[in-house]
Amino acid sequence: MTNDAANLAIQIENLHKSFGSLEVLKGIDLSVTKGEVICILGTSGSGKSTLLRCINRLLVPDSGMVYIHGEPVGYVKGPDGSLRPANQSMLATQRSKIGYVFQQFNLWPHKTALDNVAEALVVVKKMKRDKARKIALQRLNEVGLEEWNDEYPSTLSGGQQQRVAIARMLAMEPDVMLFDEPTSALDPERVGEVIDVMKDLATRGNTMVIATHEMNFAKETADRAVFIDDGVIVEQAPAVEFFNEPKTERLQAFLKRMLS
Amino acid sequence: MEFEFRFDIVWNNISILLEGVQTTIMLSLLTMLLGTIIGLFVAIIRLRVRRLFAIPFVIYVEVFRGTPGLIQIVWIYYCLPIVTGLELSAFTSLVIAMALNVGAYLSEVFRAGIQAVDKGHVEAACALGFKPTQISRRIVVPQAAYRMIPAIGNVFVSAIKLSSLCSVLGMSELMYQGQLVIANYFRPIEVFTVVALIYLIMAYSTSLFMMFLEWKFAWVKRDKNSFWGHFKNVSRTIFSLKPQGDLTRD
Repeated sequence: MTNDAANLAIQIENLHKSFGSLEVLKGIDLSVTKGEVICILGTSGSGKSTLLRCINRLLVPDSGMVYIHGEPVGYVKGPDGSLRPANQSMLATQRSKIGYVFQQFNLWPHKTALDNVAEALVVVKKMKRDKARKIALQRLNEVGLEEWNDEYPSTLSGGQQQRVAIARMLAMEPDVMLFDEPTSALDPERVGEVIDVMKDLATRGNTMVIATHEMNFAKETADRAVFIDDGVIVEQAPAVEFFNEPKTERLQAFLKRMLS
Repeated sequence: MEFEFRFDIVWNNISILLEGVQTTIMLSLLTMLLGTIIGLFVAIIRLRVRRLFAIPFVIYVEVFRGTPGLIQIVWIYYCLPIVTGLELSAFTSLVIAMALNVGAYLSEVFRAGIQAVDKGHVEAACALGFKPTQISRRIVVPQAAYRMIPAIGNVFVSAIKLSSLCSVLGMSELMYQGQLVIANYFRPIEVFTVVALIYLIMAYSTSLFMMFLEWKFAWVKRDKNSFWGHFKNVSRTIFSLKPQGDLTRD
C-alpha cells in the first residue's frame, strides 16, 4: 500500500463541484500512477473540463482533495500534519508543476512563439532571458516549430498554436500534464499534428490526463480510459478492454454513438 | 458692399494669441497627467473592490460624464474654496476641475481595456504558476495598454478643447486671448478662424503622438512597416467606410 502511494502521480478524492444549483462533479475518485496516460471520455457537459480545472485549481472544488505527487493542491501541510489553505504564491508554485493545455490554446498575442514559451521560465523559474530562450527553442524543436519561433500567434494556424502551447507547458517540466480537449478547437486536417506530438509525449513516460473526443487516439495511446457521465465516473478500464468489452450500458451507448 | 477678410489684424496680434497658447498647453498637459492618475486609480478601485464599495466611484464617473464641463469648471472654481476652505489659485482649481472630468472618462477607458483582455490568457499564466501581480504586469497591462491608446487619444484631444471653457473664468488661455483681440478690433470671424486652426494643430499633434505610440507598442509590426506606413494605414481606415483588415488586429 505504501509503495502504491509513493507511485501515485495524481490522487483525487471525492471531488464535488457545483455551479449554482447545477452539480457538475458528484464525487470523483481517481488515481493516476506515475507515467500513466489516461484519457477521459464523455459527452460535452459531462464534467471533463471541470474535473481537469479542479485538479490545478483554476476552479476551486466545493469539497474533496487533489494530491499531486502526494502534495495536496491548494493546501499546505503544517508541522503537525494539519492542512491549511495555501496563499496565492504557494498555489502558484504548486500550479507551476502541473502542466495544462487549453482547448483554446490561450497563447499570449503580444509575444512571439519563442517568448510565449520562454516567458514562464523567466517569470516563474527566474531564469535569465537568454537561457530561457535557448530552452524554449529546444522545446519548439520538439514540437516541430523551431523555424516559426519568431512568429506571433495570430500568424500561426490553430494546430501550430496548440503545439506552441504544448511547448510552453513542456518548458516548465511539469510533474503531470493535463490536456483539456486539445484538438477540439482545430480544423479536422490540423488534428493529426497535435495528436502526433501528444503520442510522442506519451511514449516518453510522461504522466498525462487527457480529456478528448478523439476515440482512435484514446484507443491507441491511453493506458487507461475513464468514462465520465453526469458528474460521476461510470466506468474505467485499460484502453483495449474499455473499447472492446464495455460493461455498463451507458458506455456501450456512448461508444456506439461515437464510433459509428 | 463686400465683406473683406482682414487676417492681417490677426497676424499683427499673433503674439497675444501665442501667449494664450502657452497657458492652454500648460492647462492641457497638467489636466492629462492628473486625469490619467485619477482615471487609473478609479479604474483599479472599480475592478478590485466589491460592488458596494465601488458605488461612490460610479457616482463620480456618472456625474462628471453626465453634466456640462462648463458647469463643472465654474462650480469647482467657486464652490471648492467655500466647501473645503482651501485657497486655490484660479489655475489650480481649473486644472483640478478638468482633471476630474478627464479622469472620469479615462477611468472607463482603462476599465474597459483591462476587462477586454481574454480571460483565457490570464488562466494560461495562472496555470503556468504566475502570481497575480506577475499576471497583471506581464500579460494584462501590455495587452490592455496597447488597445487603449486610440481611446485615450480621444479623451486627450477633448481635454485640449475643454480647456477653452476656462476663458469664462478669466484664465488667459488661447480662447480668452482671442476674445481680447476681438474686443479690440471687432473681427470675430478672422480671429476665431485662426484660434480654431491653432486648436486644430494642437489636437492633431496629440493625435499624431498617440498614433506614434500605437505604432511603437504594436506587437505585430505588419510587413515591418515604418511609422509612415502605419500612418497611411490608419488614415485609410479613418476615411474609408468599408472595414479594413487592420481593424481586426489581434
